[in-house]
Amino acid sequence: MRTSLKAVAIINALHIMSIVTVFGTIFIVDLRLLGFPNVKRSFMQMHHELLRWTWGAFGIAAVTGVLMFMVNAVTYHRNTAFWLKMGAMVLAGLNMVVFELGTMKSAPSWDKNAIPPSSARLAGALSIVLWVAVIVFGRWIGFTKGYDFTIPEDVQFDFPVQ
Amino acid sequence: MHAFAEWLGSTPLSIAIQSRLWLTPLLQTIHITMIGIVFVSMLMVALRVLGQVRADEPLADVWHRFAPWFWTALGVMLGTGVILTIGEPVREVSALSFWLKMSLIVIGVISALYFGRTVAAAAGAAAGSVYSSRARVVAVATIVLWLVIIFLGRSIAYDVEIWESWHLA
Repeated sequence: MRTSLKAVAIINALHIMSIVTVFGTIFIVDLRLLGFPNVKRSFMQMHHELLRWTWGAFGIAAVTGVLMFMVNAVTYHRNTAFWLKMGAMVLAGLNMVVFELGTMKSAPSWDKNAIPPSSARLAGALSIVLWVAVIVFGRWIGFTKGYDFTIPEDVQFDFPVQ
Repeated sequence: MHAFAEWLGSTPLSIAIQSRLWLTPLLQTIHITMIGIVFVSMLMVALRVLGQVRADEPLADVWHRFAPWFWTALGVMLGTGVILTIGEPVREVSALSFWLKMSLIVIGVISALYFGRTVAAAAGAAAGSVYSSRARVVAVATIVLWLVIIFLGRSIAYDVEIWESWHLA
């Protein structure tokens, strides 16, 4: 696949299309947890309607992400921004698990409230910060990939290596 | 157009953008975050027409919930996009993807303006309205339009690989 640059470009574009859908849909749910911008709909309604789109898009992002990793595994493995992105995703996942298994148990008692309890608001705020961090580090990979590791000594270049 | 791009690329403003190496990734990140808001705002309105979300709310309410986010994020995208283009003008005007993207954005913006006026005119429509198959086709087309815009935005960086001899350099 590394030899088909067109495939790499298309996979990259699909990755962006899916990650922005993940971010956009989860952002709406997170804003509802923060009691913003309107609270006519209950949290559980929004959770039910939106997160299936988030998960669908996340599936595509994960598949395209794994394909991109396979194409350039060594480069990614050595890339700091890549590991920061993975770290932010793990934290976003932990935040989700804590929220879904803990705070959300009591959702029937607060899901129609304008302002959910502080633990729910914290989960919403963390989710926004962590998914923005995933996008930041993801873009950062593109500007460091191939540049932030030392060149192996046995590689011969036609031009002088500084 | 290439001569203009080369001139623009040599202006002090363009050089100031190019020489701040952190600026381009920062602007691109903001640009990507905003397209998430732009696209998903339109997605929500389209999914309402398709009866997939907020089926118990009138379409006008859904539009009014998301329209300010759509237009604000689109404005931020215009700002970041203009600065990014000034920073790398030759790369942009050489990319067929760039011109296709700009054309589709014009269509997307005009259709959003038209849709906003139509919704305002039909503001009395009841909650739970079911829409015609024609409206559903337009909703799906809108989702596809914005997905293609995102695709073309990313493929500016891969213009030669995607379009081969159609690349405009």
